[in-house]
Amino acid sequence: MSMKLLSSTAAAALALSTLPAFAQDASCPVKVGVLHSLSGTMAISETTLKDTMEMLIDIQNEKGGLLGCEIEAVVVDPASDWPLFAEKARELLTVQEVDVIFGSWTSVSRKSALPVLEELNGLMFYPVQYEGEESSKNVFYTGAAPNQQAIPATDYFLEELEVEKFALLGTDYVYPRTTNNILESYLQDKGIAEEDIFVNYTPFGHSDWSKIVADVVALGADGKKVGVISTINGDANIGFYKELAAAGISADDIPVVAFSVGEEELSGLDTTNLVGHLAAWNYFQSADTEANEEWVTAWKARMGDDRVTNDPMEAHYIGFNMWVNAVTEAGTTDVDAVRTAMYGQEFPNLTGGTAVMLPNHHLSKPVLIGEIQEDGQFDIISETDPVPGDAWTDFLPESAVLKSDWAELGCGMYNTETSTCVQIKSNY
Amino acid sequence: MLRAAALFLLSLSLALPASAQQADAPIQQLLQTHSEILLKSSRSTIGPAVDALAGSGLPEAQVVLERWQNKEMWVDEESGLFVFAEEIDRDTLRIFDFADGTEIAVVPDDTFDQLKPNSGIRRMIGTALVQFQLSDPNPANRATALDAIERGAEESHLAALRASIPSEENAALKQRKERLERLLTIRFAEDTSERIAAIEHFDGDLGVDVRAALNPLLAVRVEAAETLPEDPDIGRTLEPGSEDLSRDEAYALLVSAELAQPRISRDDKRAALIANIDGDAVAGIQVATLDTEAARDMAYAALAEQGTVEAVATEAEVDKRLANHVFFERFVGAPPEVVAAAQLALAGIENKVAVNQMFDLSLDALSLASIYFLAAIGLAISFGVMGVINMAHGEFIMMGAYTGYVVQLFIPDYTLSIIVAIPLAFMVTFGAGVAMERLVIRWLYHRPLETLLATFGISIALQQIAKNIFGTQARPLTAPAWLDGSWVINDIVSISYIRIAIFVLALLFLALFLFVMNRTRLGLEVRAVTQNPRMAASMGINPDKINMLTFGFGSGIAGIAGVAIGLYAKVTSEMGSDYIVQSFMTVVVGGVGNIWGTLLGATMVGFLQKGIEWFNPSNTLAAQTYMILFIILFIQFRPKGIIALKGRAAEA
Repeated sequence: MSMKLLSSTAAAALALSTLPAFAQDASCPVKVGVLHSLSGTMAISETTLKDTMEMLIDIQNEKGGLLGCEIEAVVVDPASDWPLFAEKARELLTVQEVDVIFGSWTSVSRKSALPVLEELNGLMFYPVQYEGEESSKNVFYTGAAPNQQAIPATDYFLEELEVEKFALLGTDYVYPRTTNNILESYLQDKGIAEEDIFVNYTPFGHSDWSKIVADVVALGADGKKVGVISTINGDANIGFYKELAAAGISADDIPVVAFSVGEEELSGLDTTNLVGHLAAWNYFQSADTEANEEWVTAWKARMGDDRVTNDPMEAHYIGFNMWVNAVTEAGTTDVDAVRTAMYGQEFPNLTGGTAVMLPNHHLSKPVLIGEIQEDGQFDIISETDPVPGDAWTDFLPESAVLKSDWAELGCGMYNTETSTCVQIKSNY
Repeated sequence: MLRAAALFLLSLSLALPASAQQADAPIQQLLQTHSEILLKSSRSTIGPAVDALAGSGLPEAQVVLERWQNKEMWVDEESGLFVFAEEIDRDTLRIFDFADGTEIAVVPDDTFDQLKPNSGIRRMIGTALVQFQLSDPNPANRATALDAIERGAEESHLAALRASIPSEENAALKQRKERLERLLTIRFAEDTSERIAAIEHFDGDLGVDVRAALNPLLAVRVEAAETLPEDPDIGRTLEPGSEDLSRDEAYALLVSAELAQPRISRDDKRAALIANIDGDAVAGIQVATLDTEAARDMAYAALAEQGTVEAVATEAEVDKRLANHVFFERFVGAPPEVVAAAQLALAGIENKVAVNQMFDLSLDALSLASIYFLAAIGLAISFGVMGVINMAHGEFIMMGAYTGYVVQLFIPDYTLSIIVAIPLAFMVTFGAGVAMERLVIRWLYHRPLETLLATFGISIALQQIAKNIFGTQARPLTAPAWLDGSWVINDIVSISYIRIAIFVLALLFLALFLFVMNRTRLGLEVRAVTQNPRMAASMGINPDKINMLTFGFGSGIAGIAGVAIGLYAKVTSEMGSDYIVQSFMTVVVGGVGNIWGTLLGATMVGFLQKGIEWFNPSNTLAAQTYMILFIILFIQFRPKGIIALKGRAAEA
């Protein structure tokens, strides 16, 4: 018995020591984990991303795979159950032994998977715009940080639309609350008085919007131009926009800019009454470039003509291609080697220009602002130069002093005042 | 391919002479001088271009502005010339001559860039267009001009508007013009008495635009003086340290008015002292003695006397200065007489606004109550009458909504489709309800826990089935056009037609329920079975059948509620679970087994929710939490709900 145990331990130790060598060069096929909810509340958004990953992998395999290997997608379903994200991430890394994970949508699910990724030194690409205030060694954030979506959109409101009074409406969870905190302090920096900022949080799936819409209209009573910044997430948007349309609020009177409403969300809506309202993203399906046309055509051919593309899909598109290039450069799928090769990776955006991976694990991407059109698409009316994603916002005093630099400093939470690394793990 | 090439050649041959012609036109040249800011397309810099076009006096200016506003203006990247164009498809454009609007050519869009004025710029263009459109023969254009004035009024609009009123023929437009004229008079007129007359005219008007015009007149500037001036434009006096004026703000005011010396922060003072340490003393005072704030103040004052640092105020001086001065608000928005009139008018308006907001909130609450009532009425039957805890009730609502969606796929006419959808939804969910009763619930009567678990399981299964069939994305259930928009009583009180329709529907179903229960054979039998099944059975009633029909009836009404809720909110696989809690709450609060109880329960839950939202406008989620707390408390005091069944029926 004990002999057997000993020998198996020895065998395991041997296997462990030789495993990395195997994994690096010859472990065909290359396995890509896809950690997106296919059931539950978030399935509405995340299923599309699973399909996107499968399409990207198929395209890459047609080009000859990676390191001479076929790429294989390992799809698991964390079922919109946040703790299950940790379990499934562990399963992907230890049982399926995937080389990289693409996944997660809500911040809470990412936060749930983080400790596992850091413990097992996995690698995850996170494709959704989020609230920032985080930088993990094991995660690449290909979605927008607040300074790549919320701040430029607010600037647009202030400068182009002359909005003087702000209604920040959001769903009650971590992303809207953090984003609105940042925006509140940013607006106050810009000279907007505290009483001119109206904040409201509603539960997921909220449908009774009449009172809130009436409150927003009443904000205009002192003669100031009112604008709405919406971090409302998911289904609740439908009731909100329906109520806006019913109240006859034109985008010329009270513009609404949304951070979580894209082509996919609008496809469930009659947009005739919403024409002119805004959304801020790094990608819109209407972008007029050849690469995008090709991408949209491929997507429609695969999924059906009525399907649309959206921003998180582009994030996966950039993230996956950068990862492929980094692996090719490193000649291995080993996490640390790939991570180092990722810094400075460049890949063309679907909207034109080039995305660059920064040492803080965020992308440098242009910010687009689009107006909703009758066909449910967005007309891009403003495009900035590429904005480098900022993990730690400059507009909250406690995080203004922090910076993240994994290439030079090897730290995701570096205090520039005391010149020390606050912590390596991102269990904050 | 060949065709495209031919097209391209054709366009080249056509475009060249045309663009040469365009380049000479004065309007084109005007645009060329502003080409840079036009291409930059930012509201902060575009002003000169809009002004130049509007003031150019060129006959084409109006058309150019209108086209530009409609995003029909394009620029040829190579020649830098501006053209009108319309998109034929993704890659081809039909371009038009600037001066006379004739078609020039069909060209590929590679070298053309669309000018996309954002809504800020479009508003500026609209403002500039007012002068052209105000007396336009087309009433629609005149209305556009009025919209533009409402959104961005300028002083020059007042004269133009006044000039256009006498010749206005359209009564509705004339009324709008007159109202706007008064609003602009309040804002821009020179003559005080005119402004006051206009203000008095708006007495009691609830329009947001009136308040938006009046409130800026009451703008104040806080000032300070040693004694309160006697001027007529003085408003309130403020106490330093009060909520409206903190001590720091008050003192900063004195400093900026040069009535007091600036203050220095402790750290800066310390730094200044350290910087001036000479040996072991600062300005002749031993450093070792500088261990109190007062001592450091003294040392700093000594330094100031020597002239090495700027003189600053100490805390004691600050107190003295603040006590010596009065702080008051001075009206800067308008002359005092106008301010007085505006204050009077606003006070009247605000009282009326409060009353109307109350009324509006009550309407909202009533509408919410009717939605809850519709959602709960089916549950009131299955849970209230039969005692079955049906967790899948919400999924019947969802089924009804999806039925409505499917009907709309086949019947494109929205009115007709809703008329078809309502009975169809009833039938579908009636069938589903009967099937569920036959297959599951029948075996579990009088075992509430098992029923709860079984129906909960069914609810999850139904949700997943809906996801598999209809996908996870929300589906549109579009209301007919005549239900679009709202019934606007005034600027504050309004309610969308769809909510009124739901209210009417709720009343109809109350009537239907009462009729079925009290006036039909089925109702009689249902009441008999619920009161005493065995007695009913011995009277020749088949309790099994009655239970099945009752359950089906309750489910059927849930299906109709689903159509109504789908119209006003959304159709997703999870919509049912949003209403299940509220429905149970309504039934429990109202009192089990009585439709009037359900009605009262829905009314109470609806009004309560809106009432709490009224107190706590920034957090709708908290409002719901408070409501559930309140209901738990309520149940403690009236465990059987508002209307409790009495007598033998209660014990059955």
